[in-house]
Amino acid sequence: MKTLIKISWRNIWRNRTRSIVIIVAIILGLMGGIFGAAMRLALEKQQFEDTIGTQVSHIQIHHPEFIAKPEARFRIPDGLQIASDLSNRDDVIVASPRTVFDGMAATANMNAGVRIKGIEPGIEAQTTGLDELLEEGSYLTENGRIPSILIGNALANKINAAVGSRLVLTFQDIEGEVINASFRVEGIYSLPSRAFEERTVFVKASEVNEAIGDPQAVSEIALVIDNQDEYRNIAAEIQELYPDTRVRHWADLQPALYYSLEVLNEALIWILIIVIMAVSFGLLNTILMSILERARELGMLLAIGMKRAKVFSMIVIETTIIALFGGVIGLISSYGMISILNRTGVPIPGGEGLGELGYASVLYPSLDIDFYFEIVVVLVVFAILASIYPAWKAIRLQPAEAVRQE
Amino acid sequence: MKTVIKTTDLTKIYNSSVAPVKAVDKVNLEFGEGEFTAIVGPSGSGKTTFLNLIGGLDKPTEGHVMIDDTDISNMKESKLFDFRLRNIGFVFQSYNLIPVLTAKENVSFIMLLQKESKAKMEKRAVEMLEQVGLSEKVDVRPSKLSGGQQQRVAVARALASKPKFVLADEPTANLDTESAFNLLDIMSRLNKEENITLIFSTHDQRVINRARRVITLVDGAVSKDETFDR
Repeated sequence: MKTLIKISWRNIWRNRTRSIVIIVAIILGLMGGIFGAAMRLALEKQQFEDTIGTQVSHIQIHHPEFIAKPEARFRIPDGLQIASDLSNRDDVIVASPRTVFDGMAATANMNAGVRIKGIEPGIEAQTTGLDELLEEGSYLTENGRIPSILIGNALANKINAAVGSRLVLTFQDIEGEVINASFRVEGIYSLPSRAFEERTVFVKASEVNEAIGDPQAVSEIALVIDNQDEYRNIAAEIQELYPDTRVRHWADLQPALYYSLEVLNEALIWILIIVIMAVSFGLLNTILMSILERARELGMLLAIGMKRAKVFSMIVIETTIIALFGGVIGLISSYGMISILNRTGVPIPGGEGLGELGYASVLYPSLDIDFYFEIVVVLVVFAILASIYPAWKAIRLQPAEAVRQE
Repeated sequence: MKTVIKTTDLTKIYNSSVAPVKAVDKVNLEFGEGEFTAIVGPSGSGKTTFLNLIGGLDKPTEGHVMIDDTDISNMKESKLFDFRLRNIGFVFQSYNLIPVLTAKENVSFIMLLQKESKAKMEKRAVEMLEQVGLSEKVDVRPSKLSGGQQQRVAVARALASKPKFVLADEPTANLDTESAFNLLDIMSRLNKEENITLIFSTHDQRVINRARRVITLVDGAVSKDETFDR
């Protein structure tokens, strides 16, 4: 085996230019594929964190009619107790009870439709990290004469509000009566999603519940779960426990995001397969050319008694060495490239516009180290597959004819 | 003299698109140990085909090839590979050395296939290269050797595994006169000193003049079988 490897190694360098070209092709192919994969994963992570982490959470529970009519009157019966029970489950990290309804927010001369979320500030901070999203001001900590409100940066711009501005919210109470309540902007938060920023305001549940006429009101419970891959099972289990509510997981709540992640996952797999297949065909061509050029020598090996299996192995080893050589350099280069880009970030052209859609304008690509090893394994498997045809051609040579080839 | 090779009604017919071609036609020959034989004849007379048949590189259509007491005519391919490895040495017209190996490694390679120990392989390879006058080219790759030197490495390789006989298919065809004579001197000496059985296919008069037995093939059949005292 040692000698076979030695011969294979030397054979690779018989035609340096050809070998270097295919090795460079492997390196560039891998770098391209890995860059695409890392960007794709960065996008997924950013989207998931922004949308699920800070906005939607893994699972939400509502009154069944709330879905169609998000009004204060559609509250979850015993909502606070349910939230407390759920937060004690092992698979739930935090359960945040909220009062949610639509209304209008107005400053002295501008107004906008908003979704008002009454929250428990401490629990909400654990659920969405809202306290860390503040760009200005503080996080619902003031207990002044006028209740506090947090608004998004986009809404602040739209209605000309700033920290300290007074804002009037208009909404219906549980009886359907229109209520006006005055709030003071305590903080302005910022998120990649401009739409969410423009539409969502946060107030303390205790203050808003008083205003709608039910101090115990809960119209939404947002759950963060321990194992996010189990979201479907956990949602189904909770739904069984509380049949009078409507339990939805993030894929139900954000179907567009779910399908875009699924489609992108598929696309990523296919892109990598196509890259590796292209590289493998390049390898196949290189090895096949080499076999045709070496027919006489291979014929001699068969003539003197080298078994066909050994000749086959020699060709497979040659191909595998090229793939490994290009693969390892390609992966080291890719690792270096991704590490640098992870620090510097990759600006997305037109990033400002992407913010409207909830995408970040700069991505920070990263990949698990396991991914690199998986790529090596896939590459070697494809290289071995690519070597089968040339190796088969080699062992089909008739030694008597091959040794006399010009 | 012990018989090493015996052919009985050895026949090879190739099916061409026009009509079947009888490349070897009922050849009955015996080759004794230590013979230095030239198979001669015009192009297309069946020399190379005959050599391929007795070397186990091709299967006869009819007849048999006995090497010592073993009939290789119908031997399974896997056994035939092993048989060739242990019993037959080959020298080809185009040298057919492995270009990525040094002279010593080329000579050792066949012993490596025979699973000899490294020390034994290296010793034997160096000895063989000394015998063919290439002791100073042991670590040189074929591309740095002349045609004559490459063919001498090929001879050393053929003999390194101590085969029962060596088949050489037009070994001097690509060599200049001086290299050809040099090679023939070496092969004659090895034949006499080591009692190695050598069978050449050739139409090179220089080889024919050295052979102690000359078999002439015409249209695949033996037309003459002459012996000389040289």
